[in-house]
Amino acid sequence: MTEKKKPIRLRILSIVLILTGVYFVFFPNRYTSLSIFDFFKGEKISSEEIINLDAFSRIPVLRGGRVKPIDSVARNTLLVLRSKRTALDENGNKVPAVHWLADVLFAPEQADKLKTFLIDHDQVLGVIGKKLVNDGKYYSYNDIEPYVEEIEKSAQDASKIEREFRNYYHQNIIELYHGLVLYRNLKTTLTPPPHAPSSSVHDHSKLEPLFYNPEVDSSRTSEYRRFRLLTDEISANPAGIKMGNSEVLGPLMYFIDYYARYNLFAEFFPLPPEPGEPGGKWRKIGESLVGTEPLDSKQKAEIEPARFISTVQSLVATPDNEVDEKITSIRQNLKMDPTALFAAQYAEAVKLRKGIDPIIEHYETLEVAYRDNDATTFNRTVDQIRSLVQQRAPTDTSTIAFEKTYNGYEPFYRSSIGYLWVFLIASASWLVSVYSKSEKDKIGASNTLLNCAYMLTGLVLIAHTFGLAGRMYIEGRPPVTNLYSSALFISWGAVLLCFLTEKFLRLGIASAMGSLIGFGGLIVAHNLSIDSSLNPSGDTMEMMRAVLDSNFWLATHVVTITIGYSTTFLAGFLGIAYVFAMLFRLLSKSSRKGKELDKTMVSMIFGITCFSLFFSLVGTVLGGIWADQSWGRFWGWDAKENGALLIVIWNAILLHARWAGIAKVRGLSALAIFGNVVTAWSWFGTNMLGVGLHSYGFMDKAFVPLMAFIGSQVAIIGIAYLPAFFSLFGSRKEQTA
Amino acid sequence: MSEMKKSPSSLSQRRKKFAWLIPLADLRITLTLLSLSMVLIFVATLEQVRIGIRGAQAEFFESIYGMWNYPLQFWGGEFLNPLPIPIPGGYLLGGLLIINLVAAFITRFQWTGKKMGIQLIHLGIIMLLIGQLATQAMQEESRMQINKGESKNYLERFHGVELAFIDVTNPDSEHVVALPQALLENGGTHYSKDLPFKVKVLDFGPNCEFSSLPPAHMLKGTSAGVNRGVIKSTNLQINPKPEDFSSEGMNFGYVVFELLDGAQSMGTWAAISHPAGNHWWSQINPKMGDLAFQPIRQDGRLWGATLRPEREYLPYSIELLGIANEFYQGTEIPFNFESEIILKTEGDQNRRALVYMNTPLRHEGKTFYQYQMNKAADYTVFQVVRNPSWLVPYIACILVSLGLLWQFSFHLARFLNKNVASKGSIA
Repeated sequence: MTEKKKPIRLRILSIVLILTGVYFVFFPNRYTSLSIFDFFKGEKISSEEIINLDAFSRIPVLRGGRVKPIDSVARNTLLVLRSKRTALDENGNKVPAVHWLADVLFAPEQADKLKTFLIDHDQVLGVIGKKLVNDGKYYSYNDIEPYVEEIEKSAQDASKIEREFRNYYHQNIIELYHGLVLYRNLKTTLTPPPHAPSSSVHDHSKLEPLFYNPEVDSSRTSEYRRFRLLTDEISANPAGIKMGNSEVLGPLMYFIDYYARYNLFAEFFPLPPEPGEPGGKWRKIGESLVGTEPLDSKQKAEIEPARFISTVQSLVATPDNEVDEKITSIRQNLKMDPTALFAAQYAEAVKLRKGIDPIIEHYETLEVAYRDNDATTFNRTVDQIRSLVQQRAPTDTSTIAFEKTYNGYEPFYRSSIGYLWVFLIASASWLVSVYSKSEKDKIGASNTLLNCAYMLTGLVLIAHTFGLAGRMYIEGRPPVTNLYSSALFISWGAVLLCFLTEKFLRLGIASAMGSLIGFGGLIVAHNLSIDSSLNPSGDTMEMMRAVLDSNFWLATHVVTITIGYSTTFLAGFLGIAYVFAMLFRLLSKSSRKGKELDKTMVSMIFGITCFSLFFSLVGTVLGGIWADQSWGRFWGWDAKENGALLIVIWNAILLHARWAGIAKVRGLSALAIFGNVVTAWSWFGTNMLGVGLHSYGFMDKAFVPLMAFIGSQVAIIGIAYLPAFFSLFGSRKEQTA
Repeated sequence: MSEMKKSPSSLSQRRKKFAWLIPLADLRITLTLLSLSMVLIFVATLEQVRIGIRGAQAEFFESIYGMWNYPLQFWGGEFLNPLPIPIPGGYLLGGLLIINLVAAFITRFQWTGKKMGIQLIHLGIIMLLIGQLATQAMQEESRMQINKGESKNYLERFHGVELAFIDVTNPDSEHVVALPQALLENGGTHYSKDLPFKVKVLDFGPNCEFSSLPPAHMLKGTSAGVNRGVIKSTNLQINPKPEDFSSEGMNFGYVVFELLDGAQSMGTWAAISHPAGNHWWSQINPKMGDLAFQPIRQDGRLWGATLRPEREYLPYSIELLGIANEFYQGTEIPFNFESEIILKTEGDQNRRALVYMNTPLRHEGKTFYQYQMNKAADYTVFQVVRNPSWLVPYIACILVSLGLLWQFSFHLARFLNKNVASKGSIA
């Protein structure tokens, strides 16, 4: 290196460039809520005056099969509703996710004013009487509420159309409806929906004294207690369960139905497994009070009343130590008998569900304190909930604190900005090398920029790697578990390879192409995360289907095949770089370095394609072995298997064309660029077919971007072969490299 | 290749001896064949949407060539769709690639240590190709459905039916004579010393539509001549349909047959097989329940005729103890499908086993893996695969991987050395 002789202004330049990159990637900035330093800091200590939403956001709950901090629930649901991880208030200012969720849970009339929903389809906006130009694309629940019924009806009509025949209006109206359901369910997760007993069935005068009355009761806990009193009485006197005794049965049946149905309107599970409970099941509030309905509510119509009541009575009369066993036996052996199954649920509600979970009471306190802006009580109650959850589910909650900080750090968002910065610097280095006047300037400035780009690539790569490692730690899985994480990993692999290449060939080509793939891959990942058909819960760390639930094969087959994608893309992007370098050379009329560059490009593309062939072949073969281990056949011509095979064959074609001397530098570049098309097909196209074993990642929105990508690649190949270029490339014989 | 001049004498000897192979080993042929395989795989993948995996496999991969019509839904589909395009099939391309590779092995490859990687890779690829051809010829896939608490000792084919005659005169033992689909397809008259009558197959098809006509209507076409059995009593009109190869495809195979006592006709029957099992007929229409067992009396014995999925009886049986179908809490994502079974082999050697995702049961060359299950009705379905050539791809893969590793280590080392040497001049 020529470090010592470097002029002072170049040294300042490189320090500034690198510090800017470091700022984007690691430091606190206004676009993300937390920085790398927050991982080493402890939690903020609650003050007495301010409601501590940071502590609230760390309460563990279960949603989508995984225990996560409330912070993740808030961010993920907003990602579904608004495609962003924040909400907007009436004036268009950002509202942090957890603040928004606290409003939704505890002060819904406040939340209804916040702009929570993204509606950007003109026809859907027409349904709620708005125009994109005048009214924007973000709406509050209050804006939409008058049209809810209309939206529901339109969405139901749209759902009747088969998936492949739905147009964008249909998709968007269905999505909006799903969003409304999600929002409504969030609101009723901790607060039951209003009582509405049907007057034809129930005697109001008996029920109403039991209902929560805001004027008398301090919180809903009072209603839960009155219900528990009722079940305790029944449990003590099973003889009272008989036909015609509506005094006892009327309220019992109403409340069990009401609380059981409340389970359906709750978005997450706030209650950890009860102390001493084997199996460790989390519960919703209704579930904690009365259990869950064994079958669809409609099947209640098939209950035989006399047998139902006698079964409930005999179960309730059973001694405490035997009733659990009896209920389990009914559930296992009488699966087709609604009468017995519902009776078992009633018996569970009366006999087995005892008392009221203290966490329910704490959440009630939390709501009151939040509405009264009583910081002392709020913060104390949050601490109580957290320590109770910690006691009852110690293993589930080990990664909660990390996940909360990880969410705020947003490593992939930061990395994408970092990659953009690297790309700009690397591109600038070429401009400098072409347009500087003196030879000395040229080498000095251009090399400074190249070295900056190289070092920054390394720094951004650290953040990117940290992001991947963080996901692995939270999920306890290898890096690639779904389409989203494959995009993260593909870009990571390509950047890593470019970083190593740039170490030996400081030309800026690898830096530029690596950062381009890094940036592109992260953008693709972001778009996958907001695709509601692919990621309906908004959580990119969703659970794995049973067939994929094998860390060994995920770590070997999936990772290898993804590296294969990654390297094939890299070869393709190097091909693109070559085509543009040619174009540039043509425009700037300089062809001095031409041959040298050709040689380098050929060896880079060739070398990386060797890697591609190796990884895609080994990955495909490992997939075959997985299939043989699991299904007894090595190869099944499944769409995704075929896609992988296409990549293998394409890489083989490229290498053989080179060996045969058929493809020179331009041919090799064109072949490599077409490799992008093959890989994109294998990665995304095969999923769009919706057939085969791997169709778990079905998606329809990506069709247009995929076609655009393929079109662009074909266009670049076309550019490479433009006749006007032909003279510049020189006769093919000279180009032998 | 420039290295050829330096090649050891063995190569030039081989080239002289097998001069006629040299044109077959041309790399251009390899490139053409590889490109055509890409076309084949791409088209066959697209066609899976229309005709299912099995359909695409039969049309393209297990054939010399397949016919493809440009999909109607694509741009310009209206104009391009009617034109059928021949696509070279898997057997053709696979066979040609094997020839090309073997020829290259003999006339182009140097059998030296330095080039050992290349040889290993291509040897592995030849094995993979041959292994896949062998697999497609020999692999059998069937299913086994077991209800909880019951045992099964036979498999049912996914495709293919048999016409079974079951002698139930003796309540303690059943006696079964079955005519496999191959015989039904050929038609003609069949007799067996175990059957008291001859079976003349009049018509057979892998799939049909059927509808019950009012009693006054005459049956036409396929079911026209039927004068005995359920088809007659329910006045069922059978209309042939092409076989549906898609994964959800329901194929109702049918057969029309005449039974002959010597030269004298006993009558003409027809039978339809229900894809989910003939016990389903009674659910569709109680009168059609007998399609599972159409009684025929002959020589004082009671026989039942039925058309059912082709069976393979096993020398062992499997009993289902229980199933588990678990989901992640609060999601519809399953994390476990599991069947607890007892494998009862000959000599009363029983063993317990768990069959779940990624962990099938392997026994006597067959693999039983968890395919479907129904929690409410408490039954499980295993897919059963027999693939005698399963070891070939493993060996092939080891060869290819070793070869790749060998070869690319050379390349990488050279690439790095070269660039370390020239680094100073570039940076």
